[in-house]
Amino acid sequence: MSRYEVNSLLYRLKKDRTFRARFNADPKGALDGLDLTDAERAAFLARDMRRINALGGYLHLVMSVPGMAAHVTHAEPE
Amino acid sequence: MGKIVFAAAMSHVLDPDYYQAACGLSGRRKVEACMAEIEKLGDSFLARRPDALIVVADDHLNAFSFNAVPAMCVRIGRYVTRMTQDEAEAFDKVLDGMPERYALHEELANRILEDGVGAGFDLALSWEAPIDHAFLSPVMTMHGTRSVTPLVPIWINCFVAPQPTPGRCFALGRHISRVVAKSPWDVGIIATGGLSHFPELLLPRVGESDVVFDRKLLRWLTEGEHEPLQSLTPGELHKAGEHEFLNWMVLIGAVTPARADVRYFGELGRINLAAVEWRVG
Repeated sequence: MSRYEVNSLLYRLKKDRTFRARFNADPKGALDGLDLTDAERAAFLARDMRRINALGGYLHLVMSVPGMAAHVTHAEPE
Repeated sequence: MGKIVFAAAMSHVLDPDYYQAACGLSGRRKVEACMAEIEKLGDSFLARRPDALIVVADDHLNAFSFNAVPAMCVRIGRYVTRMTQDEAEAFDKVLDGMPERYALHEELANRILEDGVGAGFDLALSWEAPIDHAFLSPVMTMHGTRSVTPLVPIWINCFVAPQPTPGRCFALGRHISRVVAKSPWDVGIIATGGLSHFPELLLPRVGESDVVFDRKLLRWLTEGEHEPLQSLTPGELHKAGEHEFLNWMVLIGAVTPARADVRYFGELGRINLAAVEWRVG
């Protein structure tokens, strides 16, 4: 697991509109050359934010990447 | 001689639409009730005709990047802008309708920074960092349509390990108290964030705020018991989802031994909302 690589990629997806558009158009190509593990790469390609979080993705980034943000609805306490 | 004329701490995701989507209609009702109390706190604050408002909050990798994550940072300069985010999601989106630029209390910020470094606090400084919802949601809820008081934003690294200790945050608050006392200004201070929450995807514990821990903290605050707070460890705060209580610790250090009154506490399962005011001024 490369915590830095995962989070810096999330940060670019959140802040860099051009990179985000490239990722949306060609996700595999956008990830080429990045130092990700197979599991990390697969999670990004699947846009699986919960998995990315489990792999060390910083929660506030996971929650706020435009178009990819993951949200979970919780029931009210009784 | 200056003084702290107002002190309050409060949750900082203040977005009824967000809570309705995440927690249903009662989520909306609870955050609206919390916001109503924060609006009243704003009335109380502004009635004291303050010269400045110190805001202690945390960054969400909006102001800072992996280029550098400061443990404690003072925003200096004449103005600060709000964070902008293309196609904003969730609580970034609430910023969209807010003013873009806010005046800073430049001299107070400089004194906190310069005297702090002189006193052994290796504070980071920023001329350019923008402020996000952690600062602006409480500030704008307090001020409404009224002119915003000149701000002194201070960031505490609450989320990117290793964070500063609760005791060190308390000590920074003591330093702020000394700076204000030597100044000619009447100053308000707010700390934002919390209470207990495990932002939704954090594994292995999704949701489930720690109500027992929150109530223990609030009891200590209302009784003015600040010694046990200083002994808290980062590990305890992490386990209880109290990461953002580090911001509160700065405020507590600034006003100790003042007691607090809980204006609002509401359980939402995934986060407990709170608004607390200290008896100062």
